[in-house]
Amino acid sequence: MIEERRTDDLHAILGMERKNFMPFVAAAGVLLLLLAGAVIVLYNEQVYREAKTQQVEAQSRVLASTVSAALAFDDRKAAQEYVKALAVDPQIQMAAVYGAHGELFASYSRTADAAVPARIGEAAPTITGEQLVVTTPVKQGMAPLGTVYLRTTIDPISRRFERYAVLALLVTMASLIFVLLGIGQRQLAAVNERLRRQGLDLVDANEKLLAQIEQRENAEAALRQVQKMEAMGQLTGGIAHDFNNLLQVIVGNLEVLQRRNLVEGDDAKRMIAAAARGAQRASTLTQRLLAFARRQPLNPKPVDVNKLVNGMSELLHRTLGESITIEAVLAGGIWRVNADANQLENALLNLAVNARDAMEKGGKLTIETANTYLDEAYAQANEVRPGQYVLIAVTDTGSGMPGDVLSKAFEPFFTTKDVGKGSGLGLSQVYGFIKQSEGHAKIYSEPGEGTTIKLYLPRFMSPSDVAEPLPEAGALPAGHSDRLVLVVEDDDDVRAHAVGMLNELGYSVLEAGDGAAALQALDAHPDVKLLFTDVGLPGGLNGRQLADEARRRYPKLLVLYTTGYARNAIVHQGRLDPGVDLITKPFTFAALATKVNAVFDGRDDSRRAPAL
Amino acid sequence: MTRNACIVAATRLLLVAIAACLPALAATPACAETPSVEYAVKATYLYKFAPFVEWPAGAFEPSDPLVICVVGSDPVADLVDEAVRGQAALGHPIEVLHLSASSREARCHILYVALPGAAAASALERVRGTPVLTVTDDAHELRATGIVNFVVQDNRVRFEIDLHAAAENHLVISSKLLNLASRVYPKP
Repeated sequence: MIEERRTDDLHAILGMERKNFMPFVAAAGVLLLLLAGAVIVLYNEQVYREAKTQQVEAQSRVLASTVSAALAFDDRKAAQEYVKALAVDPQIQMAAVYGAHGELFASYSRTADAAVPARIGEAAPTITGEQLVVTTPVKQGMAPLGTVYLRTTIDPISRRFERYAVLALLVTMASLIFVLLGIGQRQLAAVNERLRRQGLDLVDANEKLLAQIEQRENAEAALRQVQKMEAMGQLTGGIAHDFNNLLQVIVGNLEVLQRRNLVEGDDAKRMIAAAARGAQRASTLTQRLLAFARRQPLNPKPVDVNKLVNGMSELLHRTLGESITIEAVLAGGIWRVNADANQLENALLNLAVNARDAMEKGGKLTIETANTYLDEAYAQANEVRPGQYVLIAVTDTGSGMPGDVLSKAFEPFFTTKDVGKGSGLGLSQVYGFIKQSEGHAKIYSEPGEGTTIKLYLPRFMSPSDVAEPLPEAGALPAGHSDRLVLVVEDDDDVRAHAVGMLNELGYSVLEAGDGAAALQALDAHPDVKLLFTDVGLPGGLNGRQLADEARRRYPKLLVLYTTGYARNAIVHQGRLDPGVDLITKPFTFAALATKVNAVFDGRDDSRRAPAL
Repeated sequence: MTRNACIVAATRLLLVAIAACLPALAATPACAETPSVEYAVKATYLYKFAPFVEWPAGAFEPSDPLVICVVGSDPVADLVDEAVRGQAALGHPIEVLHLSASSREARCHILYVALPGAAAASALERVRGTPVLTVTDDAHELRATGIVNFVVQDNRVRFEIDLHAAAENHLVISSKLLNLASRVYPKP
């Protein structure tokens, strides 16, 4: 359980989808940085141009102001000096002063090959390429005197961009970091993904392994049980056989002594009689041991089980006493079985005695007989041959048995009775006899609910009997996925088995482990059409109570009960009403198919369905 | 520009003349006689001084025209009317008044004294202390000069400025003008 939890947690952790946005973030970061860098450069460029223009305009205005008198009074020399003075600014390429009518008055050109314009008008400052041209009117008072012309170089683009080199470097480095981060994150994500997948694979593998281990453990447990029974059978059989021979000698000799009156005196005769009784009891015990070991000599003959049970009626009444009522529900047309009638009586008597011991305060013993068959799947799981059998079910209303007792009930010398009260060989004798007769025995019991022991004996096939063919699976009424069935059963294996069968038949199936879970499932899925519930359920609500509550909530709900107890026993005990739909365990695929279909169709097919 | 020999000799002066008073001389033949160019330049200069001179408050109201008075007669005086035609100084229209030597006209902003010797001196004396920019020409044989006195240097018309006389007449001369003066007489 703990491991499963861990597996689930791991699944949850590994299954978590971790969306990886990092590469996008990195790319967006790089883009943003580049954009910001470009904006800063452009903005700085604009600021630089404006500042440069203002600076040159200021220079131009200074020149215009100083040169005004020279222009007014025609002093070219002075004007030339003023203009020339601008040469100290290395960026000024040309400077010129023009008269009021645009004619050149004084000029300076840094380079010989470029001449100032011969005439000029006023214009707004213009930047062409790497040159900035500014013209400013010369005025003194309000009188326009001329124009000043200045042409300067602005810093070459390369030099301006040198200023941005640091910025560019920073942006580049930051971008690189982003890119590296993005790449790293991506690789990390890839590795994580790989790890996650490997983790999931491991989890799956682990789950498979766990399932296999459980399967194997179950198989091994079953095998151990069979082997144990086998070993115990051989052991007890070997001892019992020898004991039987020894007892034969003792009993025989005691009989001779008694018969021939070889012993004188009452005391001696009494003692011999006591020895003979003891030896007789020991002989009975060894017979039972031999029966369990399947080594008892059997005399199988065709037997009518109904007749046999009827014939035991008097014996059983005497054995069980007044406080226990006996009911025999015997099917008509019962097949004959091939069995040793004496041993079968012995077995039934043993069962009756056990039932009596379980019903100290009185109760009811029900003996039922029926024709049935065990199908392939059931036969395989229970080490029995598939085919037609006669069922004899013995049910008491006693204290029942818990699971751990149930699993050992057939073992020899296992007893829940006080020391000295029981030999512990009763059920093992039954088991051995049935096995030796190639039959099958099964116990159903729940604490407080009584016990049903089912004995399956193979049908006797005389030459005149024609075997009825087993129903074919293909002819079975199929289910429909619209028909939603809720299976309620506390035993996980049995529930899984039933769910599997119903699924195979084509029904939609939900499942629940007890009454409370079943009611929750019903409320969550009001479209459940059929409640298929075990009669005995743990946790407060039994199958009948569950069905009543479910019907109260959903009156149209169909109900099919199942139980390991014999049908008549459970109905007659009042645990279920007569006429309810019930299928007894173990049920075959065919039986379930027919029964469920019949319930859906509102027909009572119980008589046609092979009852187990 | 032109290969005319006459112009080559007087290129500089001619260029000055063209630059200074193009509208007035635009129609004149390309090769004018040097003296007449010199007089035209001087006549033009008379109103050109105005932007560089600061008259005391009240002496030159915004609604007043710039009044250029000419006393006496010489070639410059004859050209003044023509030189100021269509011109304005500081946004004011220009009015030229030809006065007799003895006239007591008080509206003058600029007084060009085209009188020789003692006559000039008395004319200057008459406006001393009043806000009048007096202009004389060195070509006359002067005993006293005005605030501005035309001289010819290197074949060019230049002028001297007497800051003392300017101060007496409550005038402030722009340093820009002073920079161009061939000589500046400082205040005592």
